[in-house]
Amino acid sequence: MSAAEEQNLEEEEVDLTGAHQVIDKYIDMKGALMPVLQGIQDFYGFVPEACVHLVAERLNVYSSQIYGVLTFYAQFHLKPRGRFIFRICMGTACHVKGAGRICDTITDRLGVGHAETTEDLLFTLEEVACLGACGMAPVVMVNNDTYGSATIQKIDEIIEKYRGQAAEQ
Amino acid sequence: MVTLTIDGKEVSVRPNATIFEAAKEAGVHIPVLCYAKKLLPYGACRICLVEVEQMKGRLIPSCTTPVTAGMVVNTISDEIRKVRKTVLEFLLVNHVVECPVCDKAGECDLQDLTYEYEVTTNRFKGAPFAHETDEVNPLIERNMNRCVLCGKCVRVCDEIVGYGSYSFIERGFDTKIATAFDRGLNCEFCGQCVSMCPVGAILPRPFKFKARPWQVKEVDSVCGYCGNGCTVTLGVLKDKVETVRFNDKTGVNDGNLCVRGRFGTSFVNSDARLSSPLVRKDGVLVETDWDEALDVVAKGLRKAQQAKGVGILAGARLTNEEFYLLKNLSGALGTGNLDHSGGQCYKGVTEGLDSVLGLRASTSTFPQVEQSDFILSVKADFYETHPVFGMVVNQAVRRNNAQLVVLGDKKAKFSKLPGARTLLSRPGLETNLLNALCFVLLDEDLARTEGIDNLEAFKAALASSTPEAVAALAGVDAQQIRISARELAAAKNAAILVPYGMPYLAAASELGTAAANLALLAGVVGTEGAGLYVCGEKANSQGAIDMGILPAAGALGAPQMLDALSQGNLSALLIAGEDVLSSYPDRETVEKALKSTGFLVVQDIFLSDTAKCADVVLPAASFAEKDGTFTNAERRIQRVRRAVPSPGAAKTDFEILCALCERLGRPVEQASDAAVFAEIVRSIKGYEGIALDQIGAQGVVWGGENLMPLKKNLVSVEGAQPLSAALSLITGSTLHHSGTLSTHAKGPLSVCPEPFVEISRQDAAELGVAEADLVSVQAEGVKLSLKAKVDIRLPKGVVFIPYHFSQLQLNRLYKGQAAVAVEIVK
Repeated sequence: MSAAEEQNLEEEEVDLTGAHQVIDKYIDMKGALMPVLQGIQDFYGFVPEACVHLVAERLNVYSSQIYGVLTFYAQFHLKPRGRFIFRICMGTACHVKGAGRICDTITDRLGVGHAETTEDLLFTLEEVACLGACGMAPVVMVNNDTYGSATIQKIDEIIEKYRGQAAEQ
Repeated sequence: MVTLTIDGKEVSVRPNATIFEAAKEAGVHIPVLCYAKKLLPYGACRICLVEVEQMKGRLIPSCTTPVTAGMVVNTISDEIRKVRKTVLEFLLVNHVVECPVCDKAGECDLQDLTYEYEVTTNRFKGAPFAHETDEVNPLIERNMNRCVLCGKCVRVCDEIVGYGSYSFIERGFDTKIATAFDRGLNCEFCGQCVSMCPVGAILPRPFKFKARPWQVKEVDSVCGYCGNGCTVTLGVLKDKVETVRFNDKTGVNDGNLCVRGRFGTSFVNSDARLSSPLVRKDGVLVETDWDEALDVVAKGLRKAQQAKGVGILAGARLTNEEFYLLKNLSGALGTGNLDHSGGQCYKGVTEGLDSVLGLRASTSTFPQVEQSDFILSVKADFYETHPVFGMVVNQAVRRNNAQLVVLGDKKAKFSKLPGARTLLSRPGLETNLLNALCFVLLDEDLARTEGIDNLEAFKAALASSTPEAVAALAGVDAQQIRISARELAAAKNAAILVPYGMPYLAAASELGTAAANLALLAGVVGTEGAGLYVCGEKANSQGAIDMGILPAAGALGAPQMLDALSQGNLSALLIAGEDVLSSYPDRETVEKALKSTGFLVVQDIFLSDTAKCADVVLPAASFAEKDGTFTNAERRIQRVRRAVPSPGAAKTDFEILCALCERLGRPVEQASDAAVFAEIVRSIKGYEGIALDQIGAQGVVWGGENLMPLKKNLVSVEGAQPLSAALSLITGSTLHHSGTLSTHAKGPLSVCPEPFVEISRQDAAELGVAEADLVSVQAEGVKLSLKAKVDIRLPKGVVFIPYHFSQLQLNRLYKGQAAVAVEIVK
């Protein structure tokens, strides 16, 4: 581990109370690992490393195995994610209708690429296969809201909308 | 038995065998990458595909498919060759081919198969792996660009070692084998993964670029560290031990080794080895030749013999033959002052056993433990002192669902095994807990009392050892004691394990007695498959007991010799293979004794702290430089074989003792290890009828697989009282070291380089101590400075310092007590 990484770990002090509560709930269940990890991700928005070691200790599962599970499933995230998740459809129809340019624009505006999160933890960008709304191509989703027939102009409006939402709170 | 046909041959095998195993028995070779005898079937590599008449239309993985009656199997055909070749092509798409610089070349399964199936071109194209290699740790190099994802390392680390360093991470094409968070390896460094890897993905770094496999001469010997007695196959090139080779055909360890055995042999090649005799002249040790040194020794010992007498102390790592000669020497000197390993230690345990059972050794053999349904590990350090036997326990628990109960003053690696119960007691109360277990067996009428002597008196003496009383004293749950006793009574094949060594001197014979009482009442002794295992810490602890390196009746034992030396009542001391100053308890007393010794002779391989005090130092040979036999902790006699010459003028203890006997007027008639072994067989009880030539790959267990008790005599023993202190210091072994010897070996040192004090999380928080902080541990004016290690193993109020490091001088604090009251200051 580099010195910088170690530094990072020290800074990353996580309050484990939430993780303890999740584990308490499932501790007697056989095969508790998946629900525990899902619960922890629900609580923290991602699975912090300190929680992995805690789960290993309390469920008596190797940390390496937990890491294997976390990296196998796309549903788990090991880094903090943004409040708003941009999912850009890269399926065939969207691709033909210019999803590439939509994606480039968002990258340009937010300064993050696929599976990355902005420093202010507001936005995460994800390129996904097909969102199943080809008729509305190109499609972008932000959390549970869907935006069809996306254009570069619309993208700017969408980003502003969520920035506004964040500022209000 | 199931009968089937493989390549036209009729084969009968056990019902649960796989096709691969059946073929192996029939002498039919099927290639494999992911299969290993000691691991569960996995079926990852698809190299072992065969045709089965009854399962037409697809090829069948032979390593996972069980045989059925009448099955007709073809292990080779054009179709099979084609498919295997394709599998190899797939593997070679990403595999980075760098055989010329890969240490595995010459014994690489992938290389051999590529050659056998003539894979000269590849129809598939893809990017070769481009993973970073793990260069962080000094012992195990992982180059995942050579990995074939067979998963053997993942499985051995889980199934056998029970550590779980590795896992498959990511998915699909991105799958690779990594540690948690894909970091550098940080584990026990036993190197089981190294021994399992079929390719060059996991390699032993200390042996890198040292020798090609075909260049080395392989010498099967026995590891010189602990009482496990693992076979180590030394790879010798140009009279130097360069590697330790995988060997699962010889010995009791099934190819398993720990960090000491696999990476700890480098002390043999150490520059610090003694290579010439030293004699003190004008206060300084100066080099001399053997003639002068031996003359000085003989003269000095003779003179001392005529004055107030001579004492002899030995370590427990000499061979049986050397022990035997040591007794000869004591005869030549007319002294019965003979002892080993501090004079208490393992010897105390065997004395306790002797009083109850008439035996001074483990009653059964290690492989039987794998089939045990209940295992009681007394003392928490079992895995630390005997790691490879610990792996057998792992398998009994993990594979065969044995109930494991750990009884000790700290949690252990065993505590993490599935379903394991740890009776975590205040330090030094193991005997009390064993008494309580006996109490429950008798109280609930679960004990097997037929033919047992002294029952009523024993019962009466046990009256105060109720689980409730002991539980309150020890800080454990009484109900857990009761449950454990009931399980022990109900078990068919129970095993009771008692590891013992220099750091646990307090009440050794009481502990041995209590364990033997329990074993007797639980019917563990004298039953096939069950056993009481007393395991000495050193390579030949059992041999020392068997050969009788013990004080003669009325003569002085080790502590008495030290007292006599201090008071001028003994004139000379000869020490063979032990650093008494570093490893005996109470350094001050030892120091005083050595300083007052008129004439001190030390035989050792290093200039230890003890040797520095000597008048004459005789350079001895390491285990790799001598022939002879060791008797391991299950009574298995195995042959130690000379692999390399000793450095400089160093001689084996055998040669030194022969020369001394001759100079003292009692020459050894036939000075060969075979002749002395024959002498041992003639005179040592239990060794009768064993021929040296008969000691083959699996050794010979004296007394047979199960030793029957010679008596059944319960002996009541008093438990101890707990130390009342805010912080109690206990000592013991770490996994990476064995005695003080391993602190001369680069491998173990690179993982555990310096002494440390382990502190519980709670205590650390209260003291404001963080991991790796420098703290001082002090008591009675003695102050030790060392690094802190914060761990979850210890209960609050207990701190642990391993005893291996002589520079720490832990024995200024540790004087043989079960625990020492200390203070910790940051």
